[in-house]
Amino acid sequence: MKRKKTKNRGSGLAFLLAVVLAATAISGCGRETQTETDLSESGKTFVFGDTTFNAENGEADINPHNGNGGWACIRYGVGETLFRFSDSMETEPWLAESWENLDELTWQITLREGISFTSGRALDAEAVKECLEDLVENHVRAAGDLQIAEIMAEGRTLTIRTETPVPALTGFLADPYACIFDVEAGVSEEGIVQGTGPYRAVSLTTDQELRLVKNENYWNGEPKLDGITIRTISDGDTLTMALQSGEIDGAYGVPYASYPLFENENYTFSGCATSRVFFGAMNFKSGITSDPAVRQAIAMGIDKEGFVETLLGGNGYVAAGAFPDSFSFGGGAVRAASYDPEGAREVLEEAGWRDTDGDGVREKDGTPLVLRWLTYPSRQELPLLAEAAQATLEDIGFQMEINSTADHNRIRADETAWDIYVSAMVTAPTGDPEYFFKYHCLDSSSSNDGQYHSDRLEELAGELAQTFDTDRRAELAVEMQQVILDDNAYVFCSHLRMNMITKSTVTGLTAHPCDYYEITAELDMEG
Amino acid sequence: MRTQKKRKLLCFAGLALLLLAVALLAEQLSPYDPNQQNYEMALQAPSMAHPFGTDRYGRDMLSRVLAGARISIFSALAVVLASSVLGTGVGILCGYAGKVLDTVLMRIADVCLAFPGLVFALAIAALLNGGTISAVIALTAVSWPKYARLSRGQTLAVRQEDYIAAARLSGDSTLQILVRHVLPGIGSQILVTAMLDVGTMMMELAALSFLGLGARPPAAEWGSMMSGGRSMLQTRPWVVLTPGIGIFVTVAVFNLLGDALRDYLE
Repeated sequence: MKRKKTKNRGSGLAFLLAVVLAATAISGCGRETQTETDLSESGKTFVFGDTTFNAENGEADINPHNGNGGWACIRYGVGETLFRFSDSMETEPWLAESWENLDELTWQITLREGISFTSGRALDAEAVKECLEDLVENHVRAAGDLQIAEIMAEGRTLTIRTETPVPALTGFLADPYACIFDVEAGVSEEGIVQGTGPYRAVSLTTDQELRLVKNENYWNGEPKLDGITIRTISDGDTLTMALQSGEIDGAYGVPYASYPLFENENYTFSGCATSRVFFGAMNFKSGITSDPAVRQAIAMGIDKEGFVETLLGGNGYVAAGAFPDSFSFGGGAVRAASYDPEGAREVLEEAGWRDTDGDGVREKDGTPLVLRWLTYPSRQELPLLAEAAQATLEDIGFQMEINSTADHNRIRADETAWDIYVSAMVTAPTGDPEYFFKYHCLDSSSSNDGQYHSDRLEELAGELAQTFDTDRRAELAVEMQQVILDDNAYVFCSHLRMNMITKSTVTGLTAHPCDYYEITAELDMEG
Repeated sequence: MRTQKKRKLLCFAGLALLLLAVALLAEQLSPYDPNQQNYEMALQAPSMAHPFGTDRYGRDMLSRVLAGARISIFSALAVVLASSVLGTGVGILCGYAGKVLDTVLMRIADVCLAFPGLVFALAIAALLNGGTISAVIALTAVSWPKYARLSRGQTLAVRQEDYIAAARLSGDSTLQILVRHVLPGIGSQILVTAMLDVGTMMMELAALSFLGLGARPPAAEWGSMMSGGRSMLQTRPWVVLTPGIGIFVTVAVFNLLGDALRDYLE
């Protein structure tokens, strides 16, 4: 009996201890979680849905040195760069106060005073040096762009010496990868960095959400919101419904077909033309597109106007070259083939592509004119472009096989698997033309999967890389575009107009031509 | 009672035949070329000229729904035919021969059944790079074990019957026994299951197409048509609803036909 009593007392004590431990654990966890959650959800808060903030787009987190993480870092107001782009896409100092070219290889940048990271550390040249050194060590594209030989830091003065002349250095330093964060504070396991922007990231779950709170010590005005949640909603229709239901307050990536639902007094659109272009790159190793006549027929056989007006609903404009008309070297500065199906038929006929068996598909030396069109569905307009082009190209004697797949990056590396690769890319992310040619069109380009080569283009690219004069750079950009257009190596279909839609109670969310700056200190909500 | 059941069966069989006739004669019945784009007519609401409206490329939806009937219905029938023939063949063989063959083939069937059907089909279709034929192969690979299990069980029961023993005594070969005596004995069950499966397969084919692993553009297939138009559900509902109605009606008819056939055979 006594033994039983002891056992009961022991069980009771154990139970009590378990309860106390559990309560302590729960309250401890709860307090920590509550702090994070409360900060971003209490007070005046804003929820933003985005179709592109996901690992598939290289934005698994907001670490600028990891893939495309810089896009999320800068878009959502966490990070800022030394330079930024104006509305006319010219670079202007941001975290930097001023800059000077000491010689072709040496750049001296003076930083603003009174800026600190959200970690509490003051922004000085040493902190920027650490960040840029970490960048070139971890980000292949940045290392190739910046060509940094040495960085020297003294107080607020940063001196960068490059290995070769880099005329577009300020533009590269305005690229999202160049967001300045406190390297000493490190990158959290979730991929969170401490920047200088109006908001501080407190939690991040890849492909789900990012939570932000106000940066109380922001240097450039007081952020108007207490907390922001960025939700990854990769499906455009789900995003549409989330905005309709009020689950989110603003959205990036709503399908054009859903725009009529928001064209009323309850919602606001903020849009502008960007340098994002829908374009096709020909495969010069393919038996089909290595034929100049075939490439010319493709360029003449796509109804760009119909695509823009009907399928994009006017949310874009027909492209001639790689750059939009907001640039001096863009828009009508170059000549491109216009839609001419009859002309395309003649070109093919003259080149010996004829429909000898009457099946509607042309042949030459027994090879049917089958065009394998590789694209991907995450940019919702690309499959539409494919199907539109299929109709017009089949009308002039092609047989077109569309492969719209998320696996496009693997497939395009195999030169035997496609004839034309159609994508949507920002062609001038640094406001300068060099980027596009450097990454897509040259022998050394990482994205020149179609293995296009032009001696003239290589020669002009060499000159561009050494030229500091802006006017001459623009002239070279025009000439280089004309070379690739004359070779029909690329077909530029349309430039995209980017829109963000918010509830009408939201103010200060303004689209920018570079597509980088979304959440700023100006963002506010009524009520 | 049996007359009533027969009437019901004939009624649904008639409707199913009508659907098949529509699918067969889609080209002749279509008022327009289902793939002909005409931007000037894009997203027109249903009218006399276009009773089902037009899609974003200006293609006539009625013509596309009719063309889609051919691909959707015949693909579903192909899956059911392939999986039922393959599954029944395997099942009869296992049930009649037994021993090692039974053990090996049934374990393979168990492995196939261990995966969630549609997920397994998605994986196979993706490996085969999508397209209608890939979708048919993928669904066949997923569906045959059900028929194998069913026919094996039926065969095990039938092979104990006296008429099978009589056939064996009279010198019939194994093949003759299986084809002439076992198959007719279990055929009605298989037929009913197959008929009920047509609707299921149509839905699964539509699901694969909806996810981009079915018919390739510009082919009109009901699932891919719904997928392509889903962003317009609220603004231009006819683009999604018309192929959706096609799927609904066809699935309903084949399911009701299956029920009626089962009732009649019982």
